Amino acid sequence: MVVDDHPMWREGVARDLTDAGYHVVAAVGEGAQAVRIARSVRPDVVVLDLQLPDLSGVEVIGGLVEALPQVRVLVLSASGEQQDVLDAVKAGAAGYLVKSAAREEFLDAVRRTAEGDAVFTAGLAGLVLGEYRRLAAAPGDGPEAPRLSDRETEVLRLVAKGLTYRQIAERLTLSHRTVQNHVQNTLGKLQLHNRVELVRYAIEQGLDG
Amino acid sequence: MGLQAPLWRAVTVFRGAALVYATVLMLAGSREHTRPWLGWTVLAAMVAWTVVTGVRYHDPAGRRWTWLTADLAVTLTCLLVSMLVVPAERLAAGGATLPMAWVAGVVLVWALRGGRRAGGIAALIVGAADLFLRGAVTSATVNGTVLLLLAGGVMGYVSRLTDDAEARLQRAVELEAATRERERLARGIHDSVLQVLALVQRRGTELGGEAAELGRLAGEQEAVLRSLVGVHDTAAAAGTADLRLLLGRYGSPRVTVSSPATPVLLPAAVAAEVAAAAGSALDNVTVHGGPAARAWVLVEQEPDAVTVSIRDDGPGIAPGRLAEAAASGRLGVAQSIQGRIRDLGGTVAISGGPGQGTEVELRVPVPRLG
Repeated sequence: MVVDDHPMWREGVARDLTDAGYHVVAAVGEGAQAVRIARSVRPDVVVLDLQLPDLSGVEVIGGLVEALPQVRVLVLSASGEQQDVLDAVKAGAAGYLVKSAAREEFLDAVRRTAEGDAVFTAGLAGLVLGEYRRLAAAPGDGPEAPRLSDRETEVLRLVAKGLTYRQIAERLTLSHRTVQNHVQNTLGKLQLHNRVELVRYAIEQGLDG
Repeated sequence: MGLQAPLWRAVTVFRGAALVYATVLMLAGSREHTRPWLGWTVLAAMVAWTVVTGVRYHDPAGRRWTWLTADLAVTLTCLLVSMLVVPAERLAAGGATLPMAWVAGVVLVWALRGGRRAGGIAALIVGAADLFLRGAVTSATVNGTVLLLLAGGVMGYVSRLTDDAEARLQRAVELEAATRERERLARGIHDSVLQVLALVQRRGTELGGEAAELGRLAGEQEAVLRSLVGVHDTAAAAGTADLRLLLGRYGSPRVTVSSPATPVLLPAAVAAEVAAAAGSALDNVTVHGGPAARAWVLVEQEPDAVTVSIRDDGPGIAPGRLAEAAASGRLGVAQSIQGRIRDLGGTVAISGGPGQGTEVELRVPVPRLG
């Protein structure tokens, strides 16, 4: 399923996916519509543009994950919307790719998303790394802020510097799979923390109200 | 002159009230006056003049110095004519003049128009006339003059304040309008031009040949345009700069800049030096790796330091090359980078072996901000 408010992009992406042998179940231009249609067409992967006319990216991802807990969301977005991308990933997106990425790169990202891997670009690694540093520096009130192990930090820094998983595995003498697991963990911890924070917020609001 | 208008209106209201006071005093004291008819004539002239100036000053264009000078002349005349009406011994004893408090009106007008100094001058002239009238320095004369000076000073000060406030308000309104317009443009450009440029880049690259070159150009323009219209809501405090924005300018299809989602604030001069050092490192990548070499820039904010890493996918440096080059004093670019960063109290680490690309890591301590 493709969600993008720009018709040219929507069609281009859908065509690329169809050409590559994927079955595009829906191509829509609005967030609310996307969440509604996703309930009935049940896509495995949603390719989502963060800038939609009606809902924010976080809202769309929240709605999609609620409707279909197994859905994998690949965020396809213009660069330079860093906070939006970080929020989307914390809300449960499985990966992020800039719109200017080449077609092969894009199709590879869709494949990996469908397989359940995190699609980590250098830009996203920088954002996630920054978020862990911010959480560590922020005065702790509430649940224990998630921390990265030294190894995870090391891997994430190398991803942010543009090394491929294979290069990282070589340099750290790890297996490809281990590198992938480390990366996946960094994202998982952040998403879990985000959910805990949301629940805590909801409880506080509920108790106060 | 939006904020000044109420002040001018207030002066007219004051003059009206002072007229009522002068009339009451006239009614009470006219039996002792030597020429009551002249006293009433002066009062009538004051009423007429209050109306004329009230109308005149209502329009900002009417607040000219010729009118203000005429105003002062009329006020002084009304004051001095008191000599012919009020007995001299009463004046010397500090008795009421014909216009009484009405004379303060012109002082306020001068202060409004010309600030504290003009108000002070008008107050001194009126005070001198009062002194001449009474023929002796009495506590009443001195008191009156001091009060006039105070009124002139305060009014002049308030006038200056409203001018300042108005100018600031004007600037704020203009700034807001400019920001809104910029945001509107940015949204428009983002929804249309940038999407199309990104699409051209993508399709062009797939088609190859000349189309690929067009695609590459479109991609570069997309990056430039995006950084131009980017709306940065986190305005850095005065004297500091967000390193992300400075380094973001190097971003292109070949150069990936990764940074945190929150601002990386450094003193403006430090940020500029770090950005310049990173820029030379990137130039170096192009020199050694050719125009097709890719590079990654990573910005990291730690509690006490900021780290900027620049890595390329070039051939890397053979072991010992660096030390060899340093020994023969041919480090060139690396040395200039090292010089810049060392001046900031930071460190530079260069690493990388054959097939690993070269990595330059700049680390600068962060002084406590604010």
